Amino acid sequence: MKPIPRRTFIRGTALAGGALLFLPGIQGCRFMDGKPSGNYFLGEFGIDETLCSKLLAKALSRGGDFADLYFEYTVSNYLGLEDGKVNQSYGDISLGVGIRTVMGDQIGYGYTQDLTLESMMSAAATAASLCDMTATQTAASFSRPQSGNYYPLPDGFDGIPAQSKLPVLQQINEKCFSYSPEIIKVTGGFQSNLRRILIATSDGIMAEDIIPGGFLYSSVIAERDGRRERSFYNLGGPRDFSFYTEDVINEIASKSASNAIKLFDAIRPPAGEMPVVLGPGITGILLHEAIGHGMEADFNRKNTSTYSTMIGKKVAEPFVTIIDDATNMNLAGSLNVDDEGTPGKKTVLVENGILTSYIHDRISAKHYGVEPTGNGRRQDFMNYPMPRMRNTYMLGGDATIEDVIKAAGNGIYVEDVSNGQVKIGEGDFAFYVSQGRLIENGKLTAPIKDVNIMGNGPKMLANITMAANDLEMSRGGAGQCGKNGQGVPVSFGLPTCLVKSLTVGGTEQKGGRS
Amino acid sequence: MTKATGKQMSFPELADWVISRTLKAGANDCKVSLSRRRAVEINYRDRKPEVIKEATTQGLYLEVFVNNRYAGQSTPDFRTKTLETFITDLVANAGIMEEDPFRTLPEPKYYEGRSQADLQLVDPDYGSLTPEERHSMTKAVENACLSNGGDRVISVEAGEYDESYEEYVKTSNGLEGSSRGTYCNVGASMTAQDEGDRRPAGYNYVGCRYKSDLPPMEEVGAEAARRTLDLMGGKKIATTKIPVILENRGAGRVLNGLVGPMSAGNIQQKRSFLAEKKGMPIGSRFLTVLDDPLIPRGLGSRLYDSDGFPALKRTLISEGVLNEFLVDWYYSRKLGWEPSSGSLSNVIIPPGTRSTGEIIRDLKRCIVVTDYIGGNSNSTTGDFSVGIIGKLYEKGEFVMNVAEMNIADNHMNFWNRLVEVANDPWIYSQSRFPSLVIDDVVVAGI
Repeated sequence: MKPIPRRTFIRGTALAGGALLFLPGIQGCRFMDGKPSGNYFLGEFGIDETLCSKLLAKALSRGGDFADLYFEYTVSNYLGLEDGKVNQSYGDISLGVGIRTVMGDQIGYGYTQDLTLESMMSAAATAASLCDMTATQTAASFSRPQSGNYYPLPDGFDGIPAQSKLPVLQQINEKCFSYSPEIIKVTGGFQSNLRRILIATSDGIMAEDIIPGGFLYSSVIAERDGRRERSFYNLGGPRDFSFYTEDVINEIASKSASNAIKLFDAIRPPAGEMPVVLGPGITGILLHEAIGHGMEADFNRKNTSTYSTMIGKKVAEPFVTIIDDATNMNLAGSLNVDDEGTPGKKTVLVENGILTSYIHDRISAKHYGVEPTGNGRRQDFMNYPMPRMRNTYMLGGDATIEDVIKAAGNGIYVEDVSNGQVKIGEGDFAFYVSQGRLIENGKLTAPIKDVNIMGNGPKMLANITMAANDLEMSRGGAGQCGKNGQGVPVSFGLPTCLVKSLTVGGTEQKGGRS
Repeated sequence: MTKATGKQMSFPELADWVISRTLKAGANDCKVSLSRRRAVEINYRDRKPEVIKEATTQGLYLEVFVNNRYAGQSTPDFRTKTLETFITDLVANAGIMEEDPFRTLPEPKYYEGRSQADLQLVDPDYGSLTPEERHSMTKAVENACLSNGGDRVISVEAGEYDESYEEYVKTSNGLEGSSRGTYCNVGASMTAQDEGDRRPAGYNYVGCRYKSDLPPMEEVGAEAARRTLDLMGGKKIATTKIPVILENRGAGRVLNGLVGPMSAGNIQQKRSFLAEKKGMPIGSRFLTVLDDPLIPRGLGSRLYDSDGFPALKRTLISEGVLNEFLVDWYYSRKLGWEPSSGSLSNVIIPPGTRSTGEIIRDLKRCIVVTDYIGGNSNSTTGDFSVGIIGKLYEKGEFVMNVAEMNIADNHMNFWNRLVEVANDPWIYSQSRFPSLVIDDVVVAGI
């Protein structure tokens, strides 16, 4: 089915959840041709430079600005827990190459799961069918870009074995149930995947990477006096098994259980415009929807984003700086190299209130005459890359948390979110609050739940009036950002901040609780 | 995959080979599903191709049962050498799972009774669809959208997507099934200049099994332009309690929150607010929901479901009363219930008699919801909240476009206020819903 043109974020499997951490720094540095990621495709599949040159020449045999190859071998495995048993295992193997020919902003794309020369040449011919000119020359040799290493792995790492996951899930089950007798059902899952990629471009870039991914979650149902509530919590990202320590297991179990129980006291807030305070961490989905998607340069080069004419303009108060970053350690959107071979970078979208840069892939960077920002991402080899976010966050301000909440007066406080969406051209966005609190007379009061919050991106940015100095990043691994039918893992972060006015989709007109 | 002779195996031959190897590797039972899909996608922008994409994919999904231990895995690699390792590894993987007595293949008696109807899922003209025709269809949609969009147009993207697929399934205990199908989708999205920096984008995409069932390309493009121009000047109004009409094509965004909790999995896992409601009213008498897998050319039509159960038409909700749950094999065993089918095919709400125009004329004031933004629905409690975009009418007359507004309620209240069903089912979807009229909805705005 053809995807409708929407941009959405959907977090894992359920409502509610989230995980927070102070912003990790940048560590490590490596050359992409060093071990362990240097020559996997050569060793396993015989993909050498000569073959890559031949395929690229075919892709440009009818002309074009450039072509690239994207080889992918991904192995995924999920173990599921239900009714006290780790009783289901699902796996997937994805192998293939995507071949792209680019001319201006036009794309020819072919892909194949069959890594024989004949099939790959046929896919290259499909990509080449975009053009009808004389052949374009390809580079005589390849060089490998220098990149950071934002998810270091043990030597020889080959994924997290199913055997290791089983006791972890058993512990999740036990810890959730032992949290409270009100917990009546626990499900859990441990997803892991290991993605190996090789990128070769007609202008002579070759990059190879190993990207781990996955998450551990629990979802619980609590019951009190016949009423049931549900909560979900996950931690993960590009990490090996050493991340899933007892502390992490405890955090997942206790957060999912306590959040479900908290909901017994939750009400649904009033409806209408009111001040909204975003707590720190996963609430950064606000930035993802309200500004991040609108700053993706493909929309802007087509003039279809509300931000298309705003570069260099003041869009927010001077304390507002918003960054999209591939270089955070072990966050879901971290990238050593993007899916076009550009090394991971940090891109400042808003600096001291001024809109500074879009996020680019190679096509948009050429359109604007700037360097690619390393945001060319794709779901898999069956899809071509587009400008996509990585880890998007706002730097902290200098207010205290208490002052931010007090300044809100009467409104709501958002603790956890499950999903969001934006309409790029209008700038209108929404995100779904699974956990929060009412703010009454400057103080946090009753818990709230299940409410959609809406706003307009540029208006919202201008309405961020305070921020505390407590930036936290989401450590969840289950979140997927969707764009034109392609999902990629992302993360985000936010300090506690006040948005002067957003529309809260409550159930009663203002003036009363429901 | 190839046999020793080098000849490519057919799907039935490959399935037999995989089943034989899997049982030899130590599984008690297994199920193998095979698929192959050819897809073509063309997109135009600014009167030139923006994307041309084409490929064939294949997949093998193997599920193994080893003494009530279960694992499943997919692979695109059909070579015998790699499949042998794949099978051995999967059986070993199942062996480390915890025992679950409910994890079995269905009893073979439940496979019986399959309809032999011709569902007409394959367009006989599909093979003659040429690249030139695809380009021509896309250009026609783009032209119509551009010419109807007028001076407001900032950008138009038009697209054509089509695919043909074949699937085959076989189990070690007697299920065998195969299906083939085609699908063709065309449409356009348009971005237009509104006040200030607002650039609303609207779209219209329609898909059918048969290309000949598509509306004229000019109509498809013109409708995309009309829907975009309908977004101009969209603003929120004061929070109000008002009748809303959920337009046919998008009504599933809200209704899915009612249907999802009808699954046996949600019920057994105690995350369904409908668990205790079978035989009870959950909506007004205007709410009837059917699941009909046997509609010729239906996008969700099938002869058997994912468990291999024969497809049967069923009434899920009858005049507001919850009649039937969606019960698959695994959760039927856990619940001790008879299985039906755990998945939906074509979901139907029988149409009413009046058009939305007639209904709007009779309502003093109402909002027609044409699109949604964000939102979610809590299957455990029935609470939902979703952003809406739409049009405000008073005394039958259009007043203004509304945006950035929201509706929130609980499904157990919301569907009781369904007061009328229009006569306009949206046929380009598995969910063939007409427009639905709900009374007294709190629409949050200013």
